Amino acid sequence: MKKFWRVALHEYGRHVLQKRFIFALLSVPFFLGMIILLVVVMVYLESDPTPVGYIDASGLLASPVPGPEPEEPDRPIPLLAFTSETEAESALKAKEIQAYFVLPEDYLESGQARLVYVKQPNDPVYDQFFGFLAANLLRDQPTAIRERILGGNEIIVRAPETNRQSSEKDWFNVLIPFMAGIVFFMAMSTTSGYLLQAVVEEKENRTMEVVITSVSPGQFMAGKVVGDIAVGLTQLVVWTLFIWLALVVGSRYVEWVRNIHFSSEMVLLAVLVMVPAFVMVSALMAAVGATVTQASEGQQVMGFFTLIMWTPYMLMITLMEHPNSPLSIGLSLFPITAPLAMLMRAGFTVIPTWQVITSVSLLVLAAGGSLWVAGRAFRLGMLRYGQRLRWKEVFSR
Amino acid sequence: MPTVEINHIYKSFGAVRAVDDVSFSVEKGEIFGLLGPNGAGKTTAIRVLLDIFKPDSGSVAILGGPISEAKKDRIGYMPEERGLYQDINLERCLIYLATLKGISPAEARLRMNDYLERFDLAAHRSKKVKELSKGMQQKAQIISTLMHQPEILIIDEPFGGLDPINTQMVKDVLREQHEKGVTILMCTHQMHQVEELCERLVLIDHGRVVLYGELSEIQRQFAGNALLVRVVGELPPLPGVVSVEAHNAASRLTLAQDAQPQDVLRALVEKNVKVEQFELAMPTLDEIFIRVVQENAQAQGEPA
Repeated sequence: MKKFWRVALHEYGRHVLQKRFIFALLSVPFFLGMIILLVVVMVYLESDPTPVGYIDASGLLASPVPGPEPEEPDRPIPLLAFTSETEAESALKAKEIQAYFVLPEDYLESGQARLVYVKQPNDPVYDQFFGFLAANLLRDQPTAIRERILGGNEIIVRAPETNRQSSEKDWFNVLIPFMAGIVFFMAMSTTSGYLLQAVVEEKENRTMEVVITSVSPGQFMAGKVVGDIAVGLTQLVVWTLFIWLALVVGSRYVEWVRNIHFSSEMVLLAVLVMVPAFVMVSALMAAVGATVTQASEGQQVMGFFTLIMWTPYMLMITLMEHPNSPLSIGLSLFPITAPLAMLMRAGFTVIPTWQVITSVSLLVLAAGGSLWVAGRAFRLGMLRYGQRLRWKEVFSR
Repeated sequence: MPTVEINHIYKSFGAVRAVDDVSFSVEKGEIFGLLGPNGAGKTTAIRVLLDIFKPDSGSVAILGGPISEAKKDRIGYMPEERGLYQDINLERCLIYLATLKGISPAEARLRMNDYLERFDLAAHRSKKVKELSKGMQQKAQIISTLMHQPEILIIDEPFGGLDPINTQMVKDVLREQHEKGVTILMCTHQMHQVEELCERLVLIDHGRVVLYGELSEIQRQFAGNALLVRVVGELPPLPGVVSVEAHNAASRLTLAQDAQPQDVLRALVEKNVKVEQFELAMPTLDEIFIRVVQENAQAQGEPA
């Protein structure tokens, strides 16, 4: 048992201390950071802080109260009152303002306002002026009514079977299982790729021959798989930390980020399907590594596995539109496609308990079976230099 | 009880029979040579011995019985090609492989330091294994085989890639292990090293044992009718001598099939020749090896 842990620890350190791993580890938060930065910069640039004028013929803004503060990274746009349209037009031509609104006398009846501009202003101009207008129209209302009206409508869709609900404001929550699937898939692909390469290399340079005269092939293989899973978990933990950090920072500025919630049911489902899936894929990659003769050949086989695992994403539209169709259910029960299909479906439907239990049970069986196959393939294929092990041989005797 | 005992093992890969009824034993504390041409089945026999391969039939006993996980810690194995992790530094690689043999990392580090100094590799401890020269890797592999102080050493081509100085050092290490009572099974093509180090040997060809026994006895068996003779002055014509060849400072006399060395010695004495050297010309192991392998090839109907 002690040797098993030594193998696992060695396998872990061997990959984690490599430059390629650190690069892969940091690439995700780097790109995440870049995307966030890009969005912030785009929003910032979109909000032109040049003042906007208004001419109020309706008298509603005679002694105005300020509108709500814009959300960062939007910049506040000063709103300037003009007594006449001629005056406002001169200011527009002199580029002192970027546009001006005209509220007619009958604004309350018509609800129509006019906007004059040289170049069409961006969204923040509309948002901030109408926020200002609404604040003044509702200034005499009790706070509760004012906030309710300013808050607007929110349609909440609630599933009758559970307490699960979704609304326009937390639309992103639907995508969380989707994103979690992708992140998990990336971690799994990267680390099982390392494992495959390591096994082929050990076979090629005969290190394996020395190692298995010290530990049993079973212990060696299991140690490698556990080390590999630990590498993947390290990736996931680091990525999760970065994502959490991004959400904490993002929630200060962006409303929909504030509405993101990780439900405990979803986290449990992800753990239940992903852990056996990780063991299954790692063991299969170890088995592939033991049966092929060159790393490139192993990569091809791995590519084939990846393609099958990726199928739910290729059928994304079908799964989103018909999450309870026989195809969707089939994909979430078939062990290789189950991890992604299950999580994708979870975003759009309430998955019956029997399906979750069946899927997880099949995954656990498949993981156990893969470990058995990997053990056999290891024993038979580890010393076949330049000679491919046939799968028939793995299953014979 | 022999330390290693192989009894009638057979091992085939598909239609190819790699090991065909091989039996031999290695006694405790001896240096034993396992010889054979390329593809003879030596490495397969070693892998069967180490339980890397299961034999199709036959039995293997090591340290008094079948191999077990615990017994693996008492064996040091060095394969012909390097069995070291290439992409990690030497220090990490040696400590890891030693800990797999059941010793603690601290103890492994202590032993490693001594060996690295002795093998002149201390300055290279932080280098990745792939950055070391072939000879350095060979020395590192030997260190890895010795670090856990095994009772049995199974080494495949221990002198490959080594310069004369390092070859001598490895020989000294092997002798030192021998003096400590370690049983050594050495597989090599370098016959002069076997002659120098081994007490007994087995020669395998085409998966079968073709020679087995004590080195001196085998050499006597193959000595044939030849003599090494050095005399003062010219060597006179002698009865029963078929041919005479110069052999260093002496002459190598090949005798007729029915001639005896005693007849030649008697003739020399009768002719009043002053004899400085008179001995049976023992064949070198190289000669025996070539002869046996060629004869075996002819017997199998292959071109020699």
